[in-house]
Amino acid sequence: MLEILGGLLGLAFAAGFVGSLSGLGGGVFIVPALVIAAHMPMVVAIGASLISVVATSAGASVAFVRDGWTNLKVAMVLECATVTGAVAGALLAGMIPPVVLEFLFALMMLQSAYFSLRKQGDELVPHGDEIARKLDLAGDIPDESGKTVHYEIVQLPAGAALMVLAGIMSGLLGIGSGALKVMAMDYFMHIPLKVSSATSNFMIGVTAGAGALVFLSRGNVSMSVSAPVALGVTAGALLGSRILPHANARVLRLVFTVILILIAVEMGWRAVKGI
Amino acid sequence: MATIANPGISEEDRILRVWTPILLRTILIVSAIVLVVGLFLMATKSPDNYVTRFHAAQRADFIEPTTFVQLLHLAAAGDPHSVLMVGLFVLTLVPLARVAFSFLLFIRERDFAYVAFTAYVLAGLIAGMLLGSIG
Repeated sequence: MLEILGGLLGLAFAAGFVGSLSGLGGGVFIVPALVIAAHMPMVVAIGASLISVVATSAGASVAFVRDGWTNLKVAMVLECATVTGAVAGALLAGMIPPVVLEFLFALMMLQSAYFSLRKQGDELVPHGDEIARKLDLAGDIPDESGKTVHYEIVQLPAGAALMVLAGIMSGLLGIGSGALKVMAMDYFMHIPLKVSSATSNFMIGVTAGAGALVFLSRGNVSMSVSAPVALGVTAGALLGSRILPHANARVLRLVFTVILILIAVEMGWRAVKGI
Repeated sequence: MATIANPGISEEDRILRVWTPILLRTILIVSAIVLVVGLFLMATKSPDNYVTRFHAAQRADFIEPTTFVQLLHLAAAGDPHSVLMVGLFVLTLVPLARVAFSFLLFIRERDFAYVAFTAYVLAGLIAGMLLGSIG
């Protein structure tokens, strides 16, 4: 038992560590790790991943919320969209053939890779649109010099539409869909990147939680796999977030993007072989 | 409807920023303790059962207890597998707990737009649980 347990803990620790350093979250790495290295079927990997993503989201959110990076109101509005998608996705996950899931997973990994390469500076807008004003979504953050920067928010419906998609992918594939969420907020709604990342991280708890509850109540979660994976991923993510401020972000991002593309190719190849 | 002008940080925002992290951290720690205890019990009481279940998972074969009440009884009796399941359930309740907390706060502050948003999210999470157990 101890060899298996140790192996799973190690694998999960590594996935959590890499996920947190790359800013892409544990899910993108733990699902392929379980499928490729531990010979787990997609459904087991997805269930275990969803639960561990809930843990890492909560862990990282502690500091982000306390320090004011998370825009709680934006999160609560957009969570309506992600939770709808996530429940639908998790229910569908049981009916869709694993081959299709592996293929979709590879696609999402490529989207993450593309996203992590094109991350750029913030484009703040001077005025929010009417919905954003009515819902009081705008916020303030400190800039590098400690001055307060005010940001306004636009295009909430477009952001919410993308969030439904992010939710579906999350429930289907067991990932947080962080890259898609950040893109919706940063690109469509013009929310500063750091706020987008912190808010996406916070929302991932609800997205993955909704999927995880479907899997758990359906009895589709293997305790012997999910328990060590949740513990390992959380520990790895904690270590990653400690090291992150001292690391060279650009080099890290490049290395992880290459890893991501390689895994995407491997998952895509598995899907092709399975057809 | 929420107020349009909002100079500085509102009272509800301040309460959320203080209590959400405390809530998140507490549940995380509790679930981690339950999971570690469960794995320890598993390693001391029934390591063979663990290996059997690991291999069953590789075949996508889930051997799980039937009802939630039954599960709690088994966990209280120290059945390692049920203790693990309870730990994972507690962990998954983290988001539910923090949304429920915001929902109650928005009711108290009479911020009805956000009462509706958080109520919808709560309903979605609960619907997920119910739909999962039916389907």
